[in-house]
Amino acid sequence: MSLTRSKSNKKGGDGCRPFPEKGSPKNLRRALLLAFAVPVLLAVSLMLGPSGIGLPDTSTISGRAILDLRLGRFFMGMMAGAALSTSGTVFQAILRNPLAEPYVLGVSGGAGLGAAMSILVGGSFLGSAGLPLTAFFFAILTLLAVYAIANQGGVPSVYSLILSGVIVSAICSSVIMFLVSTADIEGMHTVVWWMLGNLQPSSWIDQVVSLLLISVAAGALWLLSPALNVLTLGREMAHYQGLDAGLVTILGLLLSTMLAATAVSMGGMIGFVGLIVPHVMRALFGPDHRWLIPASAIGGGAFLVLCDALARTIMAPVEIPVGVVTALAGGPFFLIVLRKKMKYAWID
Amino acid sequence: MPGSTDRSPALAFRGVTAGYKARTVLREVGFEIAEGEFVSVIGPNGSGKSTMLKTATGLVRPLEGRVEVFGRDVLSLRPRERASLIGVVPQKLDSPMAFTVGEIVMIGRSVRGRWGGPDAADHDSAERAMIYTNVLDLKDRLFNQLSAGEQQRTALAMALAQEPRIIMLDESIAHLDINHSQEVLRILMNINRDEKITVLLVSHDLNLAAQIADRLMLVDHGRLVKNGSPGEVMQEELLRRVYDCDLRVRRDPFSGNPVVSGVLDAALRRTSARKRLHVISGGGSGIELFRRLLIEGFGVSAGVLNRLDSDAEAARALDIPCVLEQPFSAIGGEALSQARRMVEAADGVVAGLVPFGPGNLVNLDLALAAQQAGKPVWIAAGIASRDYTTGKAAAAKARELIAGGAVEWSNIHELMARIEETWPEQQTKQ
Repeated sequence: MSLTRSKSNKKGGDGCRPFPEKGSPKNLRRALLLAFAVPVLLAVSLMLGPSGIGLPDTSTISGRAILDLRLGRFFMGMMAGAALSTSGTVFQAILRNPLAEPYVLGVSGGAGLGAAMSILVGGSFLGSAGLPLTAFFFAILTLLAVYAIANQGGVPSVYSLILSGVIVSAICSSVIMFLVSTADIEGMHTVVWWMLGNLQPSSWIDQVVSLLLISVAAGALWLLSPALNVLTLGREMAHYQGLDAGLVTILGLLLSTMLAATAVSMGGMIGFVGLIVPHVMRALFGPDHRWLIPASAIGGGAFLVLCDALARTIMAPVEIPVGVVTALAGGPFFLIVLRKKMKYAWID
Repeated sequence: MPGSTDRSPALAFRGVTAGYKARTVLREVGFEIAEGEFVSVIGPNGSGKSTMLKTATGLVRPLEGRVEVFGRDVLSLRPRERASLIGVVPQKLDSPMAFTVGEIVMIGRSVRGRWGGPDAADHDSAERAMIYTNVLDLKDRLFNQLSAGEQQRTALAMALAQEPRIIMLDESIAHLDINHSQEVLRILMNINRDEKITVLLVSHDLNLAAQIADRLMLVDHGRLVKNGSPGEVMQEELLRRVYDCDLRVRRDPFSGNPVVSGVLDAALRRTSARKRLHVISGGGSGIELFRRLLIEGFGVSAGVLNRLDSDAEAARALDIPCVLEQPFSAIGGEALSQARRMVEAADGVVAGLVPFGPGNLVNLDLALAAQQAGKPVWIAAGIASRDYTTGKAAAAKARELIAGGAVEWSNIHELMARIEETWPEQQTKQ
């Protein structure tokens, strides 16, 4: 039942690759470079901080504490950055929209609302894992609401998803505003500070829970990457290509929601990472999600770690919210990359 | 996959009714396509051609009946199995991300369901598909930067890389230039002849379909109205009714294929020999009549209608002279005498599919008056079912009209034909 079975022998025998896999060696080199950036960033991150530049003296107690803190910040940055950027990559693929990011479907807004409530109410009813779990729970709730609003029978269209996402997102942020305005001074300060973005590690349990959630979700999304490739051609085409498009859409949305919610619960509302890093990685590595998802994860993590290191050093001893640095420092750099490479990132 | 199912038709619709949430599009469609056939689905815009294709691929679930692909219900096929049997070339393949042609074609191999990189067999198959469709030279180019013709050939290569047994095309060549569409058609004929791949081509281009397909299936309003050879389907009378326009079928002097062409000049000629028709309607039954008669170049008047009636609104919007009566009241003497003057000025009377009650029964008297004055009257058939007068007075008047020579009609197309029979001089004038 093959197409021109007669011809197949002629080509297969001579052993030469009809496809010279042109993109891959270049991608491999870039990926190695990206992987190499991680230990460098680790070193940078350990050497920068409000208490001074250079490795802290581990012979003193305060030195060890500082090293510990900086190490914690490094892991928080890697995790949150990877989660945000991977989630953005997948949202952009599923919604086929270059403006898609964790915020656009109201997912971050929902997670933020959950986290704000958890902070204000005390949130201790779930122990120290309360914040990520509440955030995740609210994010899923938001996603379901967005999906239900957009749903007109069958699988909702991309446009109605985005529209209802924007609406639900707006509702969530007004509720957060309301909560903040009625909170006492201390609660207000905590929530606002948290919303600005802050990678201060909370507890180890928190971090372990977050790491678990992020690895599971990002790993599962990586397994979905061939399906995501097909899905970028649109749901109808994906159906014709033998994909259960509805299932992949729902799975992808759920998993990237999980990532976004975890990132929000860890570091607050950090903008820019989920939107721009995926585009830059797509420009560098091409649209194949088997490359793109790991590249986005590492790239997003490295970017956020770098921004965090800058945030706590530039105006030491005052710490700038990391969300401010991501846009201020990252903006110009990424603009340059995208100007040169946009045609490989997104065409519409 | 081959084996026991080989004897079954490649594609069979068995009493399929299908549609979307609140709208039924296909109604009781039944047909079979044998393996290796080249079939084209034709029909006017919105007739259900694309829905038929979507139903055939399991994208739209039938409300009733079933769709069989090689003897198996298409809904029972696993997605990958389905994709290895049916390849679809869409109207336009749209890839917002920067995939190269080679990568797009390789997506056609994802049917095989491997996660890792493509293996030698995948490369062979993709390359064969690209050679076939003449896109091998383009394989490192970005898909989005290709011309429309190149993109369509790439889409076809992607579908071929699936190694399907049926290929379906949804108006895939409609917007291509003649050289590009010819090239895609040649490729299709090749794969159909050499590889015995069944081809289902959805097209609104009648001539192209007749030129290339073994069999045509004519769809209209969701129903399969004709299923046969191009010669059987390309009948002037049939196509006129389905496409609701004047057209002509001739034989191509070179190929002998039937060729359809529209007839615009007839309508233009009529405008010069302007006749005036008075329309009796109401409740929305007149809107299509007004529109059609105006397009055909007739002068139109209407009445008596009640104010607020949708026909009255339409008449006002179309600037048609019209006699109006107060809303929800019986037609009074003054309106009636106005209408009589209007009928006297007209050359004939058309009665639409309006229900008759005691209030508007007198409108039929207008028609009788016109008939007595020797003017032709066309009356919509089946008046008895719309007669709400006591003692079926409207039906009685209709019988009287028909006895006096009034012509019955059941659809607009028929009405236009009847009018043309009555006034043939309009065609030949000038």
